[in-house]
Amino acid sequence: MNPAASAPALRTREARVGLALLAVLGLASLAVALGWLAQGWDQAIDDQWSGPSLAHWFGTNRLGQDVFDRALVGLLTAFSVGGIVTVGAITLGALLGGLAGWHSGSAVDEALQYLMGVIDSIPIYLLAVALAFSLGGGESAIILAMVLSFWTATARLVRAEVARLREREFILAARAIGLPAWAILGRHLLPNTVHILLVQATLTFVAAIKTEVILSFLGIGAQDGVSWGLMLAESTQDVLAGHFGNFLAASLLLFLLLLGLNLVADALQDAFDLREPAR
Amino acid sequence: MKPASTTKITLALLTLALLAGCSEAPESQPAPSLRTYVHAMDGAPATLDPGQASNLYANTLVINLYDTLYRYRYLARPYELAPNLAADLPTVSEDGLTLTIRLKPGVRFIDDPAFPGGVGREVIAQDVVYSLLRHFDPESRAQGAWLWRDRLVGLDDWKEAGADYDTPPEGLRALDDHTLQLTLTRPYPQIVHTLAQGYAAVVPREAVERYGRELGVRAVGSGPFRLESFDRSRAVLVRNDAYRQEPVDLAAEGFDPSRDGDLGLEHIEGRAPPFMDRIEVEFIAEDAARWNSYYAGETHFIKVPVAQFDQVLASRSPATLAPELLAEHRFDAAPEAGFVYTSFNMADPNLGHHPDPAQAERNRALRCAMVKAFDWDRRNAQFYGDMGQVFPGVIPPVVPEFDAGLDRASVTRDLEEARALLREHGWTAENLPELGYGFPSSVTERQLFEQFRSFMGDIGYPADKLRPQVYATFGDYYRAYSQGEVGLITTGWTLDYPDAENTLQLFYGPNASPGANNGSFRDETFDALYEEAAVLEPSAERTRLFAAMNQRVIDECAAITGLTRSLLLLWNRDLVMRPDRAFVGGYAFRFVDRRPQPEP
Amino acid sequence: MRPLRLLSSLLKRLGYGLALMLGVTLLSFTLMVQFGPDKTFELLGKNPTGEQIAEVRRELGYDRPFIVRYGAWLGSLVRGDLGASDTTGEAVAPLLARALPVTLALVLPGYLVGNLFGLLLGMLAAWHRGGAWDRLVLGGSVAGLSLSFLVIIILLQILLSTPYGLDLFPTRGWRVTDLSSYLHYVTVPTLALIGVTLGYNTRFYRAIVLEELGREHIRTARAFGATGREVLFVHVLRNGLVPIVTRLLYSIPLVVVSGSLLLETYFGIPGVGKITFDAMTSGDQPVLLAVVTLTAVGFVAVQVLADTACRMADPRMAQS
Repeated sequence: MNPAASAPALRTREARVGLALLAVLGLASLAVALGWLAQGWDQAIDDQWSGPSLAHWFGTNRLGQDVFDRALVGLLTAFSVGGIVTVGAITLGALLGGLAGWHSGSAVDEALQYLMGVIDSIPIYLLAVALAFSLGGGESAIILAMVLSFWTATARLVRAEVARLREREFILAARAIGLPAWAILGRHLLPNTVHILLVQATLTFVAAIKTEVILSFLGIGAQDGVSWGLMLAESTQDVLAGHFGNFLAASLLLFLLLLGLNLVADALQDAFDLREPAR
Repeated sequence: MKPASTTKITLALLTLALLAGCSEAPESQPAPSLRTYVHAMDGAPATLDPGQASNLYANTLVINLYDTLYRYRYLARPYELAPNLAADLPTVSEDGLTLTIRLKPGVRFIDDPAFPGGVGREVIAQDVVYSLLRHFDPESRAQGAWLWRDRLVGLDDWKEAGADYDTPPEGLRALDDHTLQLTLTRPYPQIVHTLAQGYAAVVPREAVERYGRELGVRAVGSGPFRLESFDRSRAVLVRNDAYRQEPVDLAAEGFDPSRDGDLGLEHIEGRAPPFMDRIEVEFIAEDAARWNSYYAGETHFIKVPVAQFDQVLASRSPATLAPELLAEHRFDAAPEAGFVYTSFNMADPNLGHHPDPAQAERNRALRCAMVKAFDWDRRNAQFYGDMGQVFPGVIPPVVPEFDAGLDRASVTRDLEEARALLREHGWTAENLPELGYGFPSSVTERQLFEQFRSFMGDIGYPADKLRPQVYATFGDYYRAYSQGEVGLITTGWTLDYPDAENTLQLFYGPNASPGANNGSFRDETFDALYEEAAVLEPSAERTRLFAAMNQRVIDECAAITGLTRSLLLLWNRDLVMRPDRAFVGGYAFRFVDRRPQPEP
Repeated sequence: MRPLRLLSSLLKRLGYGLALMLGVTLLSFTLMVQFGPDKTFELLGKNPTGEQIAEVRRELGYDRPFIVRYGAWLGSLVRGDLGASDTTGEAVAPLLARALPVTLALVLPGYLVGNLFGLLLGMLAAWHRGGAWDRLVLGGSVAGLSLSFLVIIILLQILLSTPYGLDLFPTRGWRVTDLSSYLHYVTVPTLALIGVTLGYNTRFYRAIVLEELGREHIRTARAFGATGREVLFVHVLRNGLVPIVTRLLYSIPLVVVSGSLLLETYFGIPGVGKITFDAMTSGDQPVLLAVVTLTAVGFVAVQVLADTACRMADPRMAQS
């Protein structure tokens, strides 16, 4: 399977919409990161709970902060948490999955499979929360917690693929001529698992963002700065008094980002015929 | 599989689910003839063991399920003590060190399998001794030891000697079944208050021994109510039919016609409580949910959430109820018995005490600048519905020693003066210390922090030097500040008893962390004054000492303080009652009654 | 020969399950006990002395070495003793026994209806593969996947349970005494659960149905004039039963804990999820450990069950 196949796959209308969404949101979060946008997110600039206006598109919150500015900072949080978790979980999954697959049937494989079995037997929120607590809470804690809980899905797929490829002729041939393992890995195995990693990356990104929002809502995630989960937690108090700004801003951006990611993930899955039903 | 059978299985499973859900439901809806009062609280008690009645929620239930020697009069404010299980106020010896307390005879515990034959026996003085001693038994997990530690003769030795309940210490003795004698190590003017608390509720030894820690989900007391069920979402109390007959004397309870006139309280005059057959206490932490359930008539009482003040009130000062609520509801706006404040960690040499007097003075200037930068009015408007009472120092409006005429400079924002203080003492954005602001994870606490940081930003305190330190649980936060890990400690203090001594001890040196003096403020002048005042009965002299202590806290800028929140209580007018949500005294459900309904 | 083989594979599975349990408990014990929240200060009164702090720590067992505590806990677990809550003092077993029926009553309707709708929509889409229905269902499911559980819950609550919407259902709580009160309290959580699972379910069932529709015998059946309904509900379902049942079984333990965690916390329903969350935020280790262990037991049991059922249903699998 050729990873270049992803290029035409992304030419469908759905995929283009997804990519466009991701591009716009990505640029916006870059602008926040570079300090061009939403810099006043922590300033109490106006009255409490002022309604939507040209100056404040989604109004202000209880402290008089601009809700939309905060939602934009939440966008940056989502991108950075999602990105780090994805890179971490995919790397870990690829390495350990590859290791298990290459040595499939050996003690190493058994041990790694056992480890995955243990991790997958604990409900994800419980594991993430327990890890986050034990790491002292905060953003880095939940990132690590998610990496440690999410890598198994990728590892299982990579393991199966590598175990299958290992017995294929071109690999057997490469081994026969004495090519070192790392060379085989780099030249033959990695290119042949990239499609799995790519699809898994989009799925992990989605899962990471969703989980971060819920953990932050439950009070275990972001400490300083803004997360959509925190905004949604605030909104549950606001709606009592009839203020919907926090809820609308956070859930709108959250929906758009997840939609973009899902559309791209779909296109990739179609292209590689990798529809993974279980989840 | 045919579609028909899929449907059948689905239906079968659904039915199963329904049955499963139903089997756990409380017995059945109370019959309409039962007189039920549904009370809402904004939190759930962890346990109902009197030994652990450490918060308002637990205390409220404990004082209704168990007996205490003393109680607070129903309507009298400021609070006044009255005998409850005790026959009278204690007889005090000449030197003030020996208290003799007589118990009412014939009071019985409720029937429970813990007793031989399942029949409740009489409550005797030995039970009181046992219940107080539990606080000094390392295995009981009781939490009230601080109320009596080194106050009663022989208590510490008793614990050392192995906590044997059969040989009580000299300072805590039952002279006979109905007479109790306390011997103090030094005068303790607040002792009768301590005997009115849930901590001092009377537990039978049989129940503790039979149920062990499970006593936390049961109640074997002699109070006006028995416990029917208790879980994390509600507690159901039913009337204790055997409760002693003591007709209400409204005048003695502190009835004030000008204040209580329209509550219908005359209806309970001369009749013996408890009046309601059933009390349901709903624990609803979320404001929105609590409000909606009150508004829908599912609960009869609520502490109105701040977000709702606008809808409930027609005016704020004086507080008046919105006209559309007048017909169906009664309300009361009362200050809480406590206050919120932020103390500085005085053990931190970058901020607090310092061996070098020059540096100590610089640190004081920094603290005072932060005090001056804090905007109490905005805090009050955005978080407390503009109904809180901001006051200087640590003697809150609810105690008799409160001085309304005190200089308000320490609670008045003055950015110019704050900046000048920083400038004169060489503080700049570069050399200001990095401080951790601690809070247990919650939306409101986080907003309080963000507001604090923006206040400090106005005097040039860089935002990245005020770090949030978030803790998963309140216990973790408590541990952290008790170990000096938090620079700025924001907490609330709820009075255990209505006496300013209870708030002033928050700055007494020997109570430094892990004690209640969470900022570890140490000031010789303050400590000397405190020790002098602690043994005095309320008097002009004591009030003068209290005022001097209060001034020390203000002058040293030991804390950013303070604000007493207003509690807006709303209840259904069909109920005859005056609710109370202060820790002190709790709320005695026994006085709650239903307005007589006109015959149809 | 077959029953023997079945037995040996069952035993092997059980052995693996036990090993898994050991791993799960060790991991969760390490995380939740060794590094979890500290309850000492929640159990202390005001103005505690150093001696009292030490006493409470001893009472909670914090002063004993990790391995001793783990051993003691495993020992009592083997004896069937889950310990007592560090918060209320109540034994954990009755606590969970009281909560589990509530959770089941809460999540089962949403779980079943969500799967049923998913199956029907999946069939619809697969039958019209590439057509307008397929595109509509797929598009809808992508949108569904992009909604956070939290957003769905808050939105439904605003729309159905507040004066800003229809104000038909209670905002929270669980005072179930009969069928009508049950429906009153369960509707909004059920809709939320359906909302969050429908996207995933639809895609799963669509994939299964598509795969079955491509098989030889289905094509034969259709050639012999079987109606669409017969094909879908008889032939496809019969053959797709194994993956469907496997999925249904596998998701139960996770739905019960993960699914109920947010729902019950948000709606204040006294089920397993709420108990778990309260235990998390108060550091009630015995309760947390019991929940994790029982979930893992359920998970392993389901694996063994599913595996055995599949082997019995499909002899070919027994060979592999």
